[in-house]
Amino acid sequence: MRRTLSGLIYLLSALIGVAAFVYPFLLPRLPVADGDAAYLAEAPLLTTVLLALCLVALLVEMQGEVVSAKVIAALGVLVALTSVLRFMETAIPGPGGFSPIFAPIILAGYVFGARFGFLMGALTLLVSALLTGGLGPWLPYQMFVAAWVGFTAGWLPNLQHRPRLELTLLVLFSVVWGMLFGVITNLYFWPFFVGESGMAWQPGAGVRTALAHYTAFYGTTSFLWDVVRAAGNGALMLVLGRPAIRALARFRDRFHFTVVTKEAYGEG
Amino acid sequence: MEKGNCHLDARAWLVWVLAAAALAMTIRNPLYTVILLLIARVVDVACGRPDAGLDLPLGRIAVTVLFFATLFNGLFVHSGRTVLFALPATWPLIGGPITVEGMAYGLETGLILLALLFLFVTFNRVVSPGELVRLTPRAFHDLGVVVLIAITYVPETARHLERIREAQAIRGHRLRGLRDWRPVIIPLLVGGLERAMSVAEAMVARGYGATAGREQSPRMLIGLVLGLLLLLAGWLLAFWYDLLGWSLLGSGGLLLGVLLWRNGRRVIHTRYRPRPWTRQDTLLSVAALVPLLVVFVPWPFLAQDTLGYTPYPLIHLPPFDPVIGLVLLLFTLPAILSTGATRPNVEGPAYD
Repeated sequence: MRRTLSGLIYLLSALIGVAAFVYPFLLPRLPVADGDAAYLAEAPLLTTVLLALCLVALLVEMQGEVVSAKVIAALGVLVALTSVLRFMETAIPGPGGFSPIFAPIILAGYVFGARFGFLMGALTLLVSALLTGGLGPWLPYQMFVAAWVGFTAGWLPNLQHRPRLELTLLVLFSVVWGMLFGVITNLYFWPFFVGESGMAWQPGAGVRTALAHYTAFYGTTSFLWDVVRAAGNGALMLVLGRPAIRALARFRDRFHFTVVTKEAYGEG
Repeated sequence: MEKGNCHLDARAWLVWVLAAAALAMTIRNPLYTVILLLIARVVDVACGRPDAGLDLPLGRIAVTVLFFATLFNGLFVHSGRTVLFALPATWPLIGGPITVEGMAYGLETGLILLALLFLFVTFNRVVSPGELVRLTPRAFHDLGVVVLIAITYVPETARHLERIREAQAIRGHRLRGLRDWRPVIIPLLVGGLERAMSVAEAMVARGYGATAGREQSPRMLIGLVLGLLLLLAGWLLAFWYDLLGWSLLGSGGLLLGVLLWRNGRRVIHTRYRPRPWTRQDTLLSVAALVPLLVVFVPWPFLAQDTLGYTPYPLIHLPPFDPVIGLVLLLFTLPAILSTGATRPNVEGPAYD
């Protein structure tokens, strides 16, 4: 019962998230009268609010994960560690969109379970935004996507007895999410570029046109940037993946032993 | 206790920044956008904490954003009547006439992005991270603890990283490639988790586990599912049936809000020396909400069609309604309050 309800919450918020990100593609199909121009202007604002509400609902559900002081402390320290890595990224700008935060989020989700990964992704971006002054309307989008990176990492099959396969899988996973993160978060400000051009958002055109325009927009503005990010993610995972998993898994067993309820690590 | 010059409550600042950002995202008229942008800078100069976080090179960012927004739109949008020159039509995407209107539209977009950025930069500089964490709704008490631990441990972790790096350097370890980071990051990870264990033990010793960590009740989960369903349905319907869609959206949001509030009531906590809500805080919150009312409610005496401006098909000056311009100036209130220099009548509230 509880699992079904939780599953429903994940599903619905995923749907809303997808809808919030792809509405620039949906909207062109809809007949837009002149009177609705105001609605178009409010659309980016509305999707931000919607996504924030979704995040709130998910966080309420995920909070059930932080059942013990140990999990709270581990999550806090891991978030701090990842934020420090992100500091180094802002202090020493690496090439392109390279960011060292995804590998730890994926590893945490993989070892500690999907909900832990979700919280790790969302809170890492929140904390580093608080510390670097990066708070803004883009934050719900970033938190939402990073949280899903950690969440889906928890769904990967546990391959701890086949290390080579495990590492390959994780590297592939990081590369794919490295690309996806850019594709998805770019959708957030694309609708600001409204207009009649080969790469702008154009209400009233067809879905195919919208897709073609977004591809052009993405290709010219961010493709290379994201390729660097994806490659960096993969490389980091390749280098750090195995020893980090070993360290995390050892602590998972130490964190585990007092927890008696089954649900606590249900997905883990 | 480090505070800016403006002694305003973080909640009042939150109202201020959300209202201003909502306007910046919906208004499409460069004149109003520039007003919002300048207000953000003025308030930052008047109220920003001197020791606030990273110092962003705002001038350089502004020039870059405006330049690229203008360039991109100019190159890729070929409508408009004032043609500057034409690129060969066979070039993909950028081929065609380059127009003043296209560039103007790009500039307008750049200004909007910049206004949003500056508003939030100001917000980050007037409110300290400690005050922000206090804004965490009570329903997220446990997550708030996680965030606090993380924020407290960031400087410690940075020092730890430095120590490990030095220790490895003494052994002749050099950081050249990505692979060389392994002997630095892994000890950092193990050390951090080791510390997490002792933090957890300290928390349990102080009786933390007694209240924390209960799974949500099924009723709560059902409520969340319902709220999300309402949001999704409302959002999809809003495209066709305005009223029905919006009311579904509204009730979904309301339901989630109520659930959050009820969830928060389970957590009992006390606050050490809370900062009193002053009259100035009320003033700021009200003043920030007035422009929202003015812009979103159709008043007969306002020229609200000036809120949307497009340079196409032929470039012309954006229209301007002085009343709306004046109303936007209400957002400068924090700066005006700070020049009054009357410290509020409260003994230094304990912060951080």
